[in-house]
Amino acid sequence: MEIQLDFVSAETLARKGSAEKISFILDKIKRNIIVVLEEALEPQEEAELIEATMREIDAEEFHGIEFYRIDSRAKGLREKIAEYIAGRRHGITIVGPTRLIEAIKREPDYISMLAKVDIPQEEKKKKGGE
Amino acid sequence: MLSELKKSLQKLLKIFNRKKQIQLGFYGPVNAGKTTLANRISLDWLGKEVGTVSEVPHETRHVQKIENIVVTTNNGELKMNIVDMPGIATQVDYKSFKAFGMSEEDAKARAREATKGVIEAIKWLDNVDAVLVVLDSTQDPYTQVNVTIIGNLEARGIPMIIVANKIDLPEANPDSIASAFPQHVVVPISAATGENIEKLYEAIQEHLT
Repeated sequence: MEIQLDFVSAETLARKGSAEKISFILDKIKRNIIVVLEEALEPQEEAELIEATMREIDAEEFHGIEFYRIDSRAKGLREKIAEYIAGRRHGITIVGPTRLIEAIKREPDYISMLAKVDIPQEEKKKKGGE
Repeated sequence: MLSELKKSLQKLLKIFNRKKQIQLGFYGPVNAGKTTLANRISLDWLGKEVGTVSEVPHETRHVQKIENIVVTTNNGELKMNIVDMPGIATQVDYKSFKAFGMSEEDAKARAREATKGVIEAIKWLDNVDAVLVVLDSTQDPYTQVNVTIIGNLEARGIPMIIVANKIDLPEANPDSIASAFPQHVVVPISAATGENIEKLYEAIQEHLT
């Protein structure tokens, strides 16, 4: 099974409003694409993402998402002003469908993502030497 | 920067507008013990339970409101309405309910209700005065759901206490919750046994009213 990861730049995201951004992310997730955003989503956007996900869940095809925000928000006033003017939120957000992502876990020094890969029977046989 | 200004203003307004009766929301991930805590408080002060508790995820799928609870602590009276929310989740798979012996039809219906419950809980963020974030202290606190709940409360300037629940279980580690969210008051309790519940009432009175 192939796994597609799409990396979306901060510039692309800056051109989108919250609703458009959520719809953009969910559209990819529903096509089984894992999305890596070059920005930390705002907490309200995360709540909107969860809400929109709940509306899209259906019994057979789509059971939800896993996501994780890695934040490196500006701490000082000068940095905050610069961030506000630039309209850019530093950090990254990883979002993927639960059918592909088993878990995203914070370890002390890194973030670990466990993906599910269904290897076709023929591949399994080759790898197992059968 | 603007959100920080807004938060400070909201805090200032809260000081001047202290309510005699607060609308206290119970938020948290699924199966953290929110309804067990709501039942404990309701049983202690109203003499009745309000919700069904189960090990099957998403047992609470609708917002449950318990009104006019008057709690007496060493510091006086505390009047509140409790709003017990469905657990927040990012995924709902009906097959997980089948593992508990449900029929396919019942499991699908439960999944549909669970998704609506999550939406309802998020919508209620605009209608609570203060929140108890109920977390399971036997679980890793660094989950995105926990971070999202707490981040949303911070962004809206809603005062909160984090309840490190299930301390009666041997694997409980409430210190890990305190380490994960050092900027907030954390009260370790067991909603199931009532351990430390008095400390929670005092903390609500001190920090949320």
